[in-house]
Amino acid sequence: MALLGDFGTTWTKLLDTDTGRRCVLPTREAAAQGRRADIATGHSARRWASRHLNELIALAQGGRRLIREPEFLLLDVGSRDVKYVHMRDSDLLDMDWTATCGALTGFTLELLGNYYGIDYGRVEPAQKSVPVTCGVLGMEQLFELVSQGASETEAVARFARGIAMNAHRFIGEPERFYLSGGMCDNRLFQLSFPQDVEVRALGRFVLIEGLIPELEAAAPPIITAAGEDT
Amino acid sequence: MAEKKRRIGFAGCPPESVLAPRRAADLIDLDNLVEGVEPRSESLLPRTTCRIIRRILDNALALGLDEIVIDEGYGKCDSARGLADILEQILEVPIIRTRNENREGAGTRICDSNLPPLRKMELILDGLVNPRELDLTPEPDPPAAIWGVPAADLSIYEIFPDGTRVLGWTRCLENRTPSDWELEMEVPEGVPTVFFAQTFCPKNIIAQHLAQARGGLHVDVDGVLSQPVRAKIEAFLHFRNVRR
Repeated sequence: MALLGDFGTTWTKLLDTDTGRRCVLPTREAAAQGRRADIATGHSARRWASRHLNELIALAQGGRRLIREPEFLLLDVGSRDVKYVHMRDSDLLDMDWTATCGALTGFTLELLGNYYGIDYGRVEPAQKSVPVTCGVLGMEQLFELVSQGASETEAVARFARGIAMNAHRFIGEPERFYLSGGMCDNRLFQLSFPQDVEVRALGRFVLIEGLIPELEAAAPPIITAAGEDT
Repeated sequence: MAEKKRRIGFAGCPPESVLAPRRAADLIDLDNLVEGVEPRSESLLPRTTCRIIRRILDNALALGLDEIVIDEGYGKCDSARGLADILEQILEVPIIRTRNENREGAGTRICDSNLPPLRKMELILDGLVNPRELDLTPEPDPPAAIWGVPAADLSIYEIFPDGTRVLGWTRCLENRTPSDWELEMEVPEGVPTVFFAQTFCPKNIIAQHLAQARGGLHVDVDGVLSQPVRAKIEAFLHFRNVRR
């Protein structure tokens, strides 16, 4: 049995490979519980696991396991950063990870949703966006919009579109890509990309899936993180 | 009473003909990290100044030097020339400007050895102050290469396996030919190569160009190596099957 962990800045994702049980909990809660994983990735992985794998490798390996296409582009939008990999077969064609220009975007969107009590599943995407170079600067623009008379929902929708447009440019403006991370649960964010762009959400456990080859390297059984939630 | 030893700082790779008569003094390579030096260059330099130029100025301001030698020719950069002007204005210390056009290669035995790349860098960076003969074993089949100038944060070299070849201006530095463009541009075929420059350094232009042309990875770092840059290098090496 092994516990695999993705210890993100805000959220921790865990997979028990023995039972297949998966859970998502706030990282501060995981820390308070002293949760330790056998293999981990994510911002705080070094603190909470004896073995860790960097997030780009985990993302690429996870994508390789979950996507049945020889070539794919996979974007992960986290709380504090944005990263992507472009794979063809087992080759890493391109990648990037920004913790500056895309900083705190996911975190800010979550914060704003909670602050304004917005259900992102019910908000229609905005036609216009606010320039979001990072979460903090984007928020300044958002409050400016509200002060000019836009509704809070409209302002947040424009903010979400700004984040989506920024992320789309960051990955080279492809017509189709896969999405990983907490934003897979955010309908508004996924609808905020340009209309002709196809976004395929893979969920929050892609990086965890990418840890499985590390586990298999030590012991051969084939395990999947893509199974049912238990 | 013994005469106080002169303290002479230098930046870049000045010609040996300029350094040799000064070797009786305490020679200090201002490009290198000097423990305890506080950063004071913030108000004197634009924010878009690379970390090494900042460090040279910080060191020059802090160390109470008797003389400063700055190699400002083709082998360094325009920023060094500007820095020499600034130092001339704010310090009452002779500033010796040099242009190292040397083409008599001293060799690249450290760059081409089987040593861990961090050790290579330590030896190369110490080499101008303490030149010495080393018993080195060459690595004919390097698992990876790193091209560029010496990084401000040397921990970047710990990511690479032993025997990683050192290329670019750092190679020119070991060879004592800092303006040898041909040598700087040498990149072996088929070796997974990371092309590095300090953030804001004009060498990023050529680093990116070479990375694209050679299927390598271009990274720039401003001071401390960040987690994203570290991860990019690790991922690049991982998917090229380079293991430490």
